[in-house]
Amino acid sequence: MSRRTRTSRPIGPLLTLTLAGALAVACSGPGGDAGPGSTTAAAVTSAPTCGSAPVTLRGYFETGFPMAKALTDEFTKQHPNVKWDVREDQFAVITQNAPRVLADDPPDLMRLPQLSELVKDGLLKNLDGYARWFGWDKWPPGQLAQLRMGPGGRPRGEGSLYAMGLNFSMTGVFYNKQLAARIGMTTPPATLAQLDEAMAKAKSAGIQPIQQFNGGATGGLAFPLQDLMASVGSPAPINDWIYQKPGATIDTPANREAAQHLDRWIEAGYFAPDVNAVDYAQMVSRFVAGQGLFSFNGDWESANLDKQMAGNAGFFPMPPAQAGAKPAAMSAPLTVGISAKAAHADCAAVFLDWVATDPKAREVAVRTGGSHPMGPAAAPLPPVAAGTVTAGTLEAATQVDKGGTAMDFIANATGAIYAKSWTPQLQKLVSGEQTPAGLLESVQRDYTDQVGS
Amino acid sequence: MTGTGRASSTGRVLLVLLMAATLLPFVSLFVTALHPAGTYPSGVDWPADPQWGNFARAFEVARLGEFLKSSVLIVLGVVPVSLLIATMAGFATGHLRMPGGRAVFLLFVLGLTLPFEGIITPLYFQVRDLGLLNTRWALILPLIGLYMPFSVYWMRAHFATMPHELSESARVDGVTTWQLFWRIHVPLAKPALSSLAILLFLWTWNQFLLAIVLVDDPLQRTMAGALGAFQGQWGTDIPLLCAGSLLILTPTLVVFLVFQRRFVTALLQGSLKG
Amino acid sequence: MTRPSDLLARPSTVPGAPAARRRRTRRAGWTLWLFVTPALLFYAVFVLRPIVLTVQYSFYDWNGIGASRWVGFGNYAEVFTDPELSRSILNAFELVLFFSGIPVLLGLVIAATIRRIATSRLALVARTVLFLPQVIPLVAAGIAWTWLLSATGVVNQLLSAAGFGPASKAWLGDSATALPAVGVIGAWVLLGLCILLFLSGMSKIDPALYEAARIDGAGAVREFFSITVPSLRQETGVCVTVTMIAALASFDIVYVSTQGGPGNATMVPGLQIYYLAFSQREVGLASALAVVLMALVLLLVLPIQRVSREEES
Repeated sequence: MSRRTRTSRPIGPLLTLTLAGALAVACSGPGGDAGPGSTTAAAVTSAPTCGSAPVTLRGYFETGFPMAKALTDEFTKQHPNVKWDVREDQFAVITQNAPRVLADDPPDLMRLPQLSELVKDGLLKNLDGYARWFGWDKWPPGQLAQLRMGPGGRPRGEGSLYAMGLNFSMTGVFYNKQLAARIGMTTPPATLAQLDEAMAKAKSAGIQPIQQFNGGATGGLAFPLQDLMASVGSPAPINDWIYQKPGATIDTPANREAAQHLDRWIEAGYFAPDVNAVDYAQMVSRFVAGQGLFSFNGDWESANLDKQMAGNAGFFPMPPAQAGAKPAAMSAPLTVGISAKAAHADCAAVFLDWVATDPKAREVAVRTGGSHPMGPAAAPLPPVAAGTVTAGTLEAATQVDKGGTAMDFIANATGAIYAKSWTPQLQKLVSGEQTPAGLLESVQRDYTDQVGS
Repeated sequence: MTGTGRASSTGRVLLVLLMAATLLPFVSLFVTALHPAGTYPSGVDWPADPQWGNFARAFEVARLGEFLKSSVLIVLGVVPVSLLIATMAGFATGHLRMPGGRAVFLLFVLGLTLPFEGIITPLYFQVRDLGLLNTRWALILPLIGLYMPFSVYWMRAHFATMPHELSESARVDGVTTWQLFWRIHVPLAKPALSSLAILLFLWTWNQFLLAIVLVDDPLQRTMAGALGAFQGQWGTDIPLLCAGSLLILTPTLVVFLVFQRRFVTALLQGSLKG
Repeated sequence: MTRPSDLLARPSTVPGAPAARRRRTRRAGWTLWLFVTPALLFYAVFVLRPIVLTVQYSFYDWNGIGASRWVGFGNYAEVFTDPELSRSILNAFELVLFFSGIPVLLGLVIAATIRRIATSRLALVARTVLFLPQVIPLVAAGIAWTWLLSATGVVNQLLSAAGFGPASKAWLGDSATALPAVGVIGAWVLLGLCILLFLSGMSKIDPALYEAARIDGAGAVREFFSITVPSLRQETGVCVTVTMIAALASFDIVYVSTQGGPGNATMVPGLQIYYLAFSQREVGLASALAVVLMALVLLLVLPIQRVSREEES
């Protein structure tokens, strides 16, 4: 052994060379020159079209929701030269992959998580040119406000358009009519106090008051929390925070009250004991199976509930704390964007316009998607059978739209706020490791870290 | 004697329990896979109406055939090249005394304990700059490099045990270094080579991190990466997920059961010799 | 490496055969470099260069797309002061208790118990069965166990059957039990391997040692501590090394079973690096954590290797 060690020679030149090669990485920092920032709008001067030559559009959509597939199929039926190469993943996976995929493997159309960071890094196509050409800027401005962004991605709510919606979703409270009858709830609660009362009655009748998801990477308690925020407070300051207006904070007295209210629901056992392990699909499956009176969710599930719980599911917007006040709701476009590097941006834009304006497509948005279609205010809505959940959510959407009480999701404030802050903090709230006040403080701290103040 | 008898029956019971614990997850996967799609069965309950069709459906949506093809191509890209160049390096550093050989060997040893997560970030940018993202090359080339420390270590250890008289006498007959390597030593290294081949096959087949980071298209991935994609897409349909997982496991299990002796020996060999 | 079996398969280094091999000419020596070059090239490009780059990135604030900014040791400071990041490192250590502790301790006891029947038919079947967890992808193990440990899973079913119904819960969904539950999955993967390692080690222990002990009137327990355990020093070293690396560098199992949640209860450095680098795009911070992880593995593994091999030298 020792003899060998002694005989070792000076390191060979090749070895030195290899090592030097490995070590001689650029002495300057990684990355190119200053990033492109947000992309600027290219004026569209002639009609965008899919042409007549065969085109394959690359799409990346969320799994578990049949609407995107129904739309792409219908589009191909009307435009036979367009084929699709669609990849599907769960939303949490899409959120993780978005920047990487948009930068290095750009799809033409992609279901997007929160936009700010993506816009800041110049990963999304500026749609202003298309908007002007197609007349999207003449639609009710509320529809696209959440998809507009100032230079560098901040603030949101105004500026250039960077994405479109496949439809316009609406959230609130779904309920099981049979279980409601068992506790004598004949009309939907009109105030928060009535909602609390119904939950208490359900609990003492041995019915699970709320069926919600909060497991894995998806903190679903954000739904009831934000509903409570709007119920005890008002949507405006919440929207300011989500839109990253200077000085906005989530840690307000009203929101603390909302968080405490949520905590009381947790303490009272209104959520399933394993709520921290329940994912979205499992929640829906349990609710459909009658294991819960209420579920805080959105109208993307309406069509499914009409099918699986025909006649037995109802919907109401989150009731306000003050009797007679206007109900508020989270409501957001089902966001789809075009990669800045998309190979067929024009055709993708044609598709987005078609989704909002073609009668067949609008029907898909409602029948399969369950939500209000995008598009001009005057465009007719496809007829929906009365008494269905879909009719209930469409009605509520109109109500909230009129009242001007729509909010974006608190989960959409920044790119990382949901995965990094809301989800773990809400899970900790359930397990008793976090207090309501601590939750808001902690989220606000992360927010300030990410956006500055 | 009675003491031994009691000890041996305790041993048997323990062994059976241990095997049951090992097999439990597989049984659970199987039974769950037979429940109606989209349901959440509880525990191990034999379903009233076993849905054997779930396997057919999973086979279809999992595109198992294409996954298999992709994994095989990747294995074929990684294993032969790794074996050849690691054997050459092991031969030069372990059997023939090359100048600087020890330094080279120590350099390789440095990489033995490297967690892949440690270098996955630069590896991503490097593979991107090579224009190989989303191709099988994005897995093949880095994996050859990443497995090199172990492969060289393994082959060097084999060559260190070969008697030098063998080479000396061949030298007297005037063979070149390459002939000495290829004609005499490689055939003798077959047991070490086949064990290494099995290990490399298994690690490549089961490689997950590189697959999910460097390749988005599941059809260009390894089997483990494909399973990750399958879970990403169908993870919300438990029976289907279980059926798909089992199907994706099957090829590995079949290969393992056919070559089990070699597998077990390969995995245990090191300590057996020690 | 991420797969646990690496260091296990470690052929012994046989000390130099006859030393009568001085007459290698210098020219022949240099042609040997041609044998090493291809391996070295792959290694340098796909391992050494990335290692150097990781270190380089770790000193910058970079989102992977735009320009970067030099921040010195700022990222390292954050790794150790940000509670979330330092927690992930502590979690990795806690996982070591499960990934290494259970397989090594339980493995030694079980191996000693079944030593006498190690050549029976049952044991031969067991050899195959106990190896299954080593052969399947860790992702598959994660998927199967996620289901097993769910609120309605088999584990709770067994607990209820045994009269512990009230103890049942969603093991991976409860922040108090999630990390231990992940640990149990790791232990399941590694236990069989360690047992078989120990068994093969025991087969090399001179039976005369046991005979002598029995004549001295030693019981099974004393036999275990005075003969079995000391004789398995090297196997134990290998086992600890393999399992420790598996714990510190864990990724696959956590990725599929908990994604680091609930809260950050099961966040581990490997997963954190992945999230930081590819979804939060804090490449510099991810790289600093990566450097810490690589250093940690080396620091922990090297002493074990030294101790377990002392005998050999």
